[in-house]
Amino acid sequence: MIKENDLILRTTTTLIAFILFGFSIYLFLAGHSAPGGGFIGGLMTSAAILLMYMAYGLKAVSKILPINYQLLIPIGLTIALLTSIGSVFIGEPFLNQTFGYFDLPILGEKELATALLFDLGVYLTVVGVSLTIILTIANDQ
Amino acid sequence: MISNLAVLPIVIPMIAGILLAFFHKKIPLVRSLAKILTTTNTLVVLFIWLYVKENGAVILETGGWEAPYGIILVADLLSITLVLTTNIIGIAAVFYAPASLSKKQEEFYFYTFFFLLITGVSGAFITGDLFNLFVFFEVLLMASYALIVLGGGKVQLRESIKYVLINLFSSMLFVTAVAFLYSVVGTVNMAHIAERVQGVEQKGILTTIGILLFFVFGTKAALFPLYYWLPKPYTVPNPVVSALFGALLTKVGIYSILRVFTLIFIHDTDFTHTFFLWIAGLTLIFGVIGALSTNNIKLIVAYNIIPAVGFMLIGIAIFNETSLSGTVYYLIHDMIIKAALFLLVGAVVYLTGTTDLRKMKGLIHHYPLLGWLFFLSSFVLAGIPPFSGFIGKLQLLKGAFEEGEILIVIVGLLASLLILLSMIRIFIQAFWGEKDETVTVNKAAARRFTLPVVFLLFFSVFLGVGAELIFPSVEQIADYLMNPEIYIQSVLKE
Amino acid sequence: MSDLVKSMDSAVETVSIICIVFISISILMLLYRVIIGPTNPDRAVALDTIGINLMALVGLIAILLETTRLNDVVLLIGILLFIGTIALAKFLEKGVIIDRDLD
Repeated sequence: MIKENDLILRTTTTLIAFILFGFSIYLFLAGHSAPGGGFIGGLMTSAAILLMYMAYGLKAVSKILPINYQLLIPIGLTIALLTSIGSVFIGEPFLNQTFGYFDLPILGEKELATALLFDLGVYLTVVGVSLTIILTIANDQ
Repeated sequence: MISNLAVLPIVIPMIAGILLAFFHKKIPLVRSLAKILTTTNTLVVLFIWLYVKENGAVILETGGWEAPYGIILVADLLSITLVLTTNIIGIAAVFYAPASLSKKQEEFYFYTFFFLLITGVSGAFITGDLFNLFVFFEVLLMASYALIVLGGGKVQLRESIKYVLINLFSSMLFVTAVAFLYSVVGTVNMAHIAERVQGVEQKGILTTIGILLFFVFGTKAALFPLYYWLPKPYTVPNPVVSALFGALLTKVGIYSILRVFTLIFIHDTDFTHTFFLWIAGLTLIFGVIGALSTNNIKLIVAYNIIPAVGFMLIGIAIFNETSLSGTVYYLIHDMIIKAALFLLVGAVVYLTGTTDLRKMKGLIHHYPLLGWLFFLSSFVLAGIPPFSGFIGKLQLLKGAFEEGEILIVIVGLLASLLILLSMIRIFIQAFWGEKDETVTVNKAAARRFTLPVVFLLFFSVFLGVGAELIFPSVEQIADYLMNPEIYIQSVLKE
Repeated sequence: MSDLVKSMDSAVETVSIICIVFISISILMLLYRVIIGPTNPDRAVALDTIGINLMALVGLIAILLETTRLNDVVLLIGILLFIGTIALAKFLEKGVIIDRDLD
């Protein structure tokens, strides 16, 4: 039997994985006032990483991305929780947010809100949870 | 009263859970941290309880969004009392856990999931928003799914599949019911729903939604036709987990029924509450039959959850001030005593190595303290005066008597007798009898098990003996439940 | 002129609704194929086609509602579908989705 190879898959993955990363960041940032947000952005990121796992196998990708996905869950939760209780310390209601307009290089004047930090926590948690589940199943022979 | 106090009972356990997830491998550190954090949380909740008792409900509009639009948290006296009870059980569980769990189970995030369970339960008690109630149900169910498979024995996995499936199905029904209600009244804020329900023309559809919600909560609370899933999954996990499940999960269901059917669906009490009375009676009878039908001591205690839920439902069905105070009192009493009983039975099973009643005898010669604690807790559970079960049942049945529902009084009294019989059966079989010389006695282990149980029974006995001190608060809650306008006004501020 | 625009609008609406109905029917028929499907590759192809139909459905609904907000959703379904199809194909071909070590 001829040795199977995934040449097409591998070639497309190099391209598509980066498109997916870009799209996930777009979705993550769009979440403030349009459909999107941390949850769906995180899901997209884990889809991109999953695609890489499918094309290159467990060992190679673990070398490229040496991230402990289990650890991402508590880190993400901590960020989300800290930003939400931050408002308690200055006497505002729980989960309250604040925002301001900043002049960023290249992008011009943009609105930045503390809700984005909360979303970052959600993003990390979702990536952590979904990849932990997928890799646990994949490791199970 | 707007204040961030309302969110603390939810946030503190969550922080604790996350914190402990970081060093889940360092068991001695995690153990002591868990003990410190639960105690801290309980003290904070005690402080909030005193504050609420003095100043009325604490309300928090999260993110600064005003009441009908944003998510609100309402810590009224009922909620915060139940949260306090939850935390007392939490302390006992954390102190009991090291003795009962294996090293592997403790390492596998037991404390994290425990704290998440507490977060979910406290959140479900405190939230003032029907959809958020669903969210917190999911939080506590997620934690419970993880806790029930902890250890991962074969039987455990088989039972937990049943548990997960039934809960997923009822969660789906819950969302559907909330969506229906939203389409009728256009809001998910409980106070706002309660206000708008009065203006709805077609009461029929509201009754339908009400019964649908009742079935959802009834599945969680293990009421008559829906209790079949409960006993076995509750016996398979570790005793600490069983105790948490038995003490907290069904009570969240019954609390939701209590809240929803005293606040929102009160337009057709003739139909709904008569229906509840029948369900309550049948729950009592079938639960007791289950408890008498088996020789597995874990199963006997698990079956005893069901008649207790039946008793609480009587109070909601009768729906007068006396009976509601009975329900609230019984709810607190039952949470504590069920936790204590599950922990005791867990200790017995650990020490004898079997769950079969017929294989045990004469334990009282080896472990006298354990035996007498069990004897005491059976009396508390069955409602022998002056213990707390008696006062709760007295109020419930007095309420029923006032409304002329004699049949349910008879069923209730009969059921309590049979509960006593089922408990005393364990006592006679397992603790009395000749001394068994062949067994190896492990006094040190027994001592580690008894301390948390003594702690819980202390509260339980205090609840009965010190009823004079506690009862005014309970009556205050019952009065508050009878007048939903107070709740609506305090939330919507009109 | 405005008459023409109006009639065009209603024509677009009618066409979209007809398309939605037919696509829904085809999704139902594909579901039948997913359940019955004599072999697993049949099921895989049917699932893939359901996804494509879903994308079309979302696009049509976006036309009906006159919104651009759903464009992201179309893209999202497309991506998830792509990954799902790869995973299914790999599973059918090799019996394993994520290999331990490829080289």
